[in-house]
Amino acid sequence: MMKKAVPYLIAAVCLAVMVWAVSFGTLPEADFTFCNGDEIKTVDPAIVTGQPEGRIVGALFEGLCRWHPKTLKPIPGMAQSWDISDDELTYTFDIRRGALWSDATPVTAHDFAWSFRRFLHPATASEYAYEMWYVVGAQKYSSGKVMIGDPVEIELKEKPPGALPYAAGITLRGELLDIKHKKVALPNEPVYVVKVDGRQRQFQKGATEAGTEDYQWLIYDFRSVGIRALDDRTLRIRLRHPVPYFLNLMGFYPMSPVNRRCVETHGYPVWTKPENIVCNGPFRLKFRRIRDRIRLVKSTTYWNRDNVRLKVVDALAVKSNTTTLNLYLTGQADWISTVPTEIVPDLMRREQADFNPAPFLAVYYYIINTTKRPLDDVRVRRALALSIDKRQIVEKVTRAGQTPARSLVPPEVSKYVDYVPAQCGRYNVEEARRLLAEAGYPGGRGCPKIEILYNTSEAHRAIAELIQSQWKRALGIDVRLRNQEWAAYLSARRQKKYQIARAGWIGDYVDPNTFLDMFVSDGPQNQTGWGNPRYDKLVEAAQREKDASKRMQYFHQAEQILMDQLPIIPIYFYVSTSMIRPYVKGFYPNIQDVHPLWAIWIDREQKARIFKEEGL
Amino acid sequence: MIAFILKRLVWMAITLWVVFTVSFFLMRSVPGGPLDQERTLDPEIKANLEKRYHLDEPLWKQYGRELGNTLRLDLGYSFRLADFRVNEIIAQGFPISASLGIVALFFALSLGLTAGIISAARRQTVVDVALMLAATIGIALPNFVIAGIMIILFVFLLPVFPAAGWGTLGHLVLPGFCLGAPYAAYIARLMRTGMLEVLSQDYIRTAYAKGLSTRAVVLRHALKNALLPVVSFLGPAIAGILTGSLVVEQIFAIPGLGVHFIQAATQRDYTLAMGLVLLYTALLYTMNLLVDISYAYLDPRVELE
Repeated sequence: MMKKAVPYLIAAVCLAVMVWAVSFGTLPEADFTFCNGDEIKTVDPAIVTGQPEGRIVGALFEGLCRWHPKTLKPIPGMAQSWDISDDELTYTFDIRRGALWSDATPVTAHDFAWSFRRFLHPATASEYAYEMWYVVGAQKYSSGKVMIGDPVEIELKEKPPGALPYAAGITLRGELLDIKHKKVALPNEPVYVVKVDGRQRQFQKGATEAGTEDYQWLIYDFRSVGIRALDDRTLRIRLRHPVPYFLNLMGFYPMSPVNRRCVETHGYPVWTKPENIVCNGPFRLKFRRIRDRIRLVKSTTYWNRDNVRLKVVDALAVKSNTTTLNLYLTGQADWISTVPTEIVPDLMRREQADFNPAPFLAVYYYIINTTKRPLDDVRVRRALALSIDKRQIVEKVTRAGQTPARSLVPPEVSKYVDYVPAQCGRYNVEEARRLLAEAGYPGGRGCPKIEILYNTSEAHRAIAELIQSQWKRALGIDVRLRNQEWAAYLSARRQKKYQIARAGWIGDYVDPNTFLDMFVSDGPQNQTGWGNPRYDKLVEAAQREKDASKRMQYFHQAEQILMDQLPIIPIYFYVSTSMIRPYVKGFYPNIQDVHPLWAIWIDREQKARIFKEEGL
Repeated sequence: MIAFILKRLVWMAITLWVVFTVSFFLMRSVPGGPLDQERTLDPEIKANLEKRYHLDEPLWKQYGRELGNTLRLDLGYSFRLADFRVNEIIAQGFPISASLGIVALFFALSLGLTAGIISAARRQTVVDVALMLAATIGIALPNFVIAGIMIILFVFLLPVFPAAGWGTLGHLVLPGFCLGAPYAAYIARLMRTGMLEVLSQDYIRTAYAKGLSTRAVVLRHALKNALLPVVSFLGPAIAGILTGSLVVEQIFAIPGLGVHFIQAATQRDYTLAMGLVLLYTALLYTMNLLVDISYAYLDPRVELE
């Protein structure tokens, strides 16, 4: 009996499973759908880095400033106006009346002060924290390190009565009088002696010694950091030195405020869940399907809601460029930001003329490990740089209108700031041969083998192969290629286990500094082993200089050193490779490839017409 | 039987622990870590981050912590998809991969069994040759090639299915077919061989002698025994369909586990990779167990021990 029933039971189960597998809920269509690259890391503004993340965070939150979609100039955001002191060190922001969080509470200067504090706090571990280190005391606060004599804040483990679950503990403030390191066999936590309210108190992690108190954090006092809310509507920020692009930074997505009540109620990352999140930007988070889509809906509390024309936006997380293009061609995506490089020439010829690469603030270059023979010799580096035919690379490999690079800073910046990059020599095989011979390797004889390292990708391989053959032909040297997957490649670069490696850099803001401060001696981005005191001095002088033209001169001189010494070989300047349907309006090409969603709208009539023509 | 299952479960626990340990140390011994990215972090910021993820602790301490959490079925937060717990990612991705797998399996079984049975019954005819040729092609072509052909045919030339994505029945058909096709080909060949072997046995001759039609003989008497090789193939096939879906998932932008698996490995997302490895181990083990049990049901000669 039992045994007889088994086949029917199995059949029934199979049927039920099939029905489950093919049943779907329905999802209303979005007004605007775009492919956002890989799945984003998080929507917490303080923690994210990267373009895909920036697009989502920029839609959900708004900082003190916004960027004009065409010119990228800072325009009022949460701050309706600001005042800059004559020495360009003090910025006073006037927070917009009527700026609201999505829970309908007002956005205040205190929200900003609290958010910046969270952004800088070592517990947040923000990767972009260094962008705020221009502010007085900010770096010290971020580092979590203290010295005797510093004003310090001590956060106790104990919470103030009535505090929200994830609020900070009771915070004491005082002056650090002494740090006592116990010299015992076991490593012991130091004892901090702090004068709090005129009374000496001792703090130690774990409070293992008698007379000490336990604590959570003991760091530089935030009150000594140059960020202060003077009242609900006035925020004052003091800088260490003039920063001409500081207002731009205030429109950069990591500088967005977060809602204190929301964060303290749920803690990270639970506060970022759609049901919990409180934001202040033009859109709200409807839902997130991991590696599928993020749905945004227009905010009803945003101050400028009358000018936001999209109601529902889908950001698709699609990793494959081919799939992205298929989605675009079949009308499922209105904007895609990457295309497969193999078919770029075909896309350029499309009659719809919807693939228009535009200059982009990014450079593709090779870094050279200058600690290893023969690349420690500047003549060899120059010979290598002079014998790369960059024109061939952009014409044969990349093919989307990239321009050959002879400087680190893209010359396009001259349209935004008054800077003309210093350049390295033109393609010149004769000179390259002469230099290599001078270095002791005439015709490449006796030259140790050189290896190019790149992360696994068709395009990087094609470029490396081309350069390999160019060097062989021009200089007679043998070059090996080595590809590694992303994480291993980064690790090899960081540990200087390479000779020549492929690299790329996207500027964070439109200023030479974002490129040039990479190569100061021992800078975290400088993996070449190269350092030049004069270069360091020039970059530092430029950073401190108030006078704009002098500042640019310093940068120019610094870049000239870089282009003479060539610890890096610039190869080409990127272009943005967006495809955008012509019925998408309010979308402007710009050097940072930033396209705020609040400015975008859809011409429905045109869309219907185009879809009809294409039979979609 | 219960003793058999219990014994196998104990072995499963041991296997999972070994897999956990090996993966833990293997992942940490390859160059690169979850915090690596093109922008090198300032040492101070990096220290803050490492502290946050306990990466500053000695390895044995991390191992103990991770093992404890895993035993409590808490796989922790993903490094790369930082807003989500690994459990949440699996909870979202697994049903999607499972849906896709079930549809693929449906294609594999329905096409494979039908083709196999017809082939065996019409042995040495044009039908047989054609079907087996198709099966050979199905095995030889990798599924991303099949996917490319399918997309050109049914998305661009004859627009009946969406190019990619997830959310409607239409989204399931092409990837389900592409994923199932190679397995259908295998099953067809297994089924044909199995059927031919059974058809040559004495009891089949007896059935014919009773005057039964070919149809009745094949479906009623031969099928059950001829299924055995297919069933034993199903265990690894299901596991393969579930784990092997990563290429298809990538091409059709399906947010299943396969994509997470690849990304977790390349991005050194320790927690997510560990969660998925353990999940796949458990799946594989369970599938094999089910196959063993079904064996006993299908073939009375097999005894579980």
